[in-house]
Amino acid sequence: MKTTKKIQLFSIIICASLTANLSSCKKPTSQNEEELITTIKVNLTDSATNQVNTFVFTDPDGDGGNNPIQFDTIKLKANTTYNCSLSILDESKTPVGNITDEIIAEGTDHQFYFTPSAGLNVSVGNLNTDNNGLQLGNTAKWTTSGNSNGRVQITLKHKPGIKAAGDAITVGDTDIELPNDGFYTIIQ
Amino acid sequence: MKNFIFILLLVCLAQQSIAQCKFSISGELTDADTKATITDASILITELNQSTKCNTKGYFQFDSICPGHYNIIINHEGCEPLKLHAIIKNKSWHQAIVITHAINNLENITVKGKKNKIINSSELKSSQLESTRGMSIGESLQKINGVSSLQTGTNIYKPIINGLHSSRILILNNGVRQEGQQWGAEHAPEIDAYTANKLTVIKGANTLQYGADAIGGIILVEPKLLTKDSNFSGETNLAIFSNNIMGVLNGSIEKASKKINGFAYRISGTAKKAGYARTPNYWLQNSGMQELNTSLLLGLQKKNSISELYYSIYSNEIGIFTGSHIGNVTDLNNAINNQYPPDYIKNVTFTYAIDRPKQKVQHQLLKIKHLQYLRNGGNWQAVVAGQFNWRREYDRKKFSSSSDAPQLDLGIGTINIDAIYNRPAYKNRKGSIGFQQMYQNNAYNYRLFIPNYQLSNTGIFAIEKYEDENIIVEVGLRFDKKYIFSITQNSGKQYGNKSFSNFSSNIGISTTKIKNTSIGVMASSTWRAPNMNEMYSDGLHHGAARIEKGDTNLVAEKAIAISSNLNYKTEKWNIDVNAYHKWINYFIYLQPSYPPQLTIRGAFPLFVFKQTNARLYGTDVNASYHFTHHFSTEAKISVLYTFNQTAKQWLINMPSNRYEASANYTFGDAKIFKNNYAKVNYIYVAQQKRVPASGNIEVLQPNGSISYQSDYLVPPNAYNLLDAEIGTQIEWHHKNILITATANNILNTKYREYLNAFRYFCDEMGSNYSIKLKIPF
Repeated sequence: MKTTKKIQLFSIIICASLTANLSSCKKPTSQNEEELITTIKVNLTDSATNQVNTFVFTDPDGDGGNNPIQFDTIKLKANTTYNCSLSILDESKTPVGNITDEIIAEGTDHQFYFTPSAGLNVSVGNLNTDNNGLQLGNTAKWTTSGNSNGRVQITLKHKPGIKAAGDAITVGDTDIELPNDGFYTIIQ
Repeated sequence: MKNFIFILLLVCLAQQSIAQCKFSISGELTDADTKATITDASILITELNQSTKCNTKGYFQFDSICPGHYNIIINHEGCEPLKLHAIIKNKSWHQAIVITHAINNLENITVKGKKNKIINSSELKSSQLESTRGMSIGESLQKINGVSSLQTGTNIYKPIINGLHSSRILILNNGVRQEGQQWGAEHAPEIDAYTANKLTVIKGANTLQYGADAIGGIILVEPKLLTKDSNFSGETNLAIFSNNIMGVLNGSIEKASKKINGFAYRISGTAKKAGYARTPNYWLQNSGMQELNTSLLLGLQKKNSISELYYSIYSNEIGIFTGSHIGNVTDLNNAINNQYPPDYIKNVTFTYAIDRPKQKVQHQLLKIKHLQYLRNGGNWQAVVAGQFNWRREYDRKKFSSSSDAPQLDLGIGTINIDAIYNRPAYKNRKGSIGFQQMYQNNAYNYRLFIPNYQLSNTGIFAIEKYEDENIIVEVGLRFDKKYIFSITQNSGKQYGNKSFSNFSSNIGISTTKIKNTSIGVMASSTWRAPNMNEMYSDGLHHGAARIEKGDTNLVAEKAIAISSNLNYKTEKWNIDVNAYHKWINYFIYLQPSYPPQLTIRGAFPLFVFKQTNARLYGTDVNASYHFTHHFSTEAKISVLYTFNQTAKQWLINMPSNRYEASANYTFGDAKIFKNNYAKVNYIYVAQQKRVPASGNIEVLQPNGSISYQSDYLVPPNAYNLLDAEIGTQIEWHHKNILITATANNILNTKYREYLNAFRYFCDEMGSNYSIKLKIPF
């Protein structure tokens, strides 16, 4: 009999504590919306003349909805060195959100990759590094040689806690990977 | 000293029992519905293992009863067994007992006939249900032949009835239409499985009293009847699972009032927590879940009425396997080509922590019901119910500094008002008419997937039934009008109001004229208005790596179905064959379309809601054979063909053929252990070969060429599973403690299921052992 009472008491406690636990039933007060990456701007500075050219891909309403509204062709001179800096923006908001700063701040979790297509005479190197000395790549050096055309794919990978030296491009999830294998690029 | 007291006590007890076995337990039984005396009930006192039948006046009596505690079980055809508790101290026990046919008298009208069933329904109750305790509703229902699950990982199970799911099936929780965001493939029913005392599946649109849109079928989740015992009673359930080290604790207490005659209440609660699940070779990162539910039921049964108030709150948090949440199509292709998750996802250790991506759902239900018996023998019933469903989906954060807010936040409130009048039975005929009104309001925060909207649905129906010894005939007619208005915040697009209305009808005939055999044939014509997501969704479906777009020009689906049911039952055999054929015109489905949608993360396949004429046909067969009283075997077959008539190819995402065989051995009762059984179950699930031959999804072949297919990956291979379970009952303090142990996937088979959205990313759960305890008091 005593044991039965104990079970009764036990059950009452279970039920009561369950009821009490359901306190998180309130809606939160408005929190910030997540960042949306809508735009990548590739700023290429001719190292000899300091002339800056900016090439843009933008899909201001984000994934789905309307198609991207701007996807520039990158035009470069042959046998030239360019300093490249990327700016990543959220143009779905006003004022426009600058995501580049966040990528740099959390550089140890992010990495840019530049993949020129075969036959395009450009090589990308000198990627800047994060706080752990691993490649980050929001700035880099592009070096062109002979006249050619092709594509340059720019990929941003998110690798929270898993970034390591010499990672393959397949590690992590993709935050940016441009359609059609990247910017159409002409070297002339 | 202690021993002495003990002996003294024993002597006292013995004397008492010899001296005072002079009491009696007796009662009179009446039917709550008809007020007639019940003449064909059997009454059992479990402690004495004595049983009797009541006489023609509904009276029963047991004599020479010693003082003590006794459990009395009253069994009456068509009713749940009624359990009563008698304490005999110094006088005999006598009670007038009213037997209610079912908690929801509505269900009785259409679902069950007196002797045979007219509608093809299957149930999960008592020991079958006990062996599924701890699992979700969707997972439990897979035990019913013809019911499968649309899975998302190891925690999300959504029931499919004969190939149809989501807004094509209706779930009645406690008599109320469950309304949440049920359109989503990864949105499982928000119901505490422990509240169910019985799960019933009605395949097809064979009853019209719950709604016209249930082209696929109806699931009834029915609770236990309230107690009539004025002492505290209840039960504690415990379940522990080995694979994801899931613990489940459920408790309920109930009591009938001593002061207010006919008043009783029950409070129950369930808590559940699971950590990472494990495939045969690796842990599934972030596959934990937790659930916390409470419910309260108050009931007042008077001479001519039953009133009820029910409130429940369900809340869960479900982790979504990290490897399934992908950035874009390249990531998806990488995941598919690797065949298993990358090391940094695979090489983790067990934890209960739940991280993003995850979903959190809360569902609240408040229901008030009143049933009034009328002098003419009929009755009416009114139900008013309010529900609020709050769903939040959290994607992975882009930056650790990102906001903690969910990406998707949907709140949907629903009010249902149902009224039904059941005419008094007259010369084998019964009938009912009813009215249903629903109002719904949906509001979202953050990312758009479906817009804000309001909806009203009005339905009226009439059902007529004839029943005699040999035949049952049932006809139903229903009219519904659905009106959608105030569609706002649709990323700048303006949509007008929409209205859909039409009639549904059905007819069923069932006969038992042939010895041992009952045959039933049913035909129905129903329709379903396009759902909100089918018309207005516009956005990225993470994990599925696709963009889904609705079409505002969709028209209502129209379904014609015929089904037949044959049951052959002898002492040894029980064979049940169900065959069905459905033609669904304007069948709404997601079709991959071309060109893909371009985004900053590359090209995503674009899936657009389209309509076609579909044909579904199949059969479910159950056959069991009892070799002896102890040993029986059972076989199940479920086969389904679904065809897109317009495109002349198979429909995608349909269950493959499934075969099961089981052997059950019931042991004789031992001194302590009673109702002992052991069961082995073998399942073979075939590979789904009936998929569309071509599509618009670009798939890179191993040789480097690109082909266009209907899916990223061919359906997974066939698989075999071996399950086992044993169960027993132990009497303890006059109550039976139920112990069930189950073993699923004993051979730790590595497999993938076609209907699991994660078939691209990871294997299914490996072996999983569990122990379940049910302790009544």
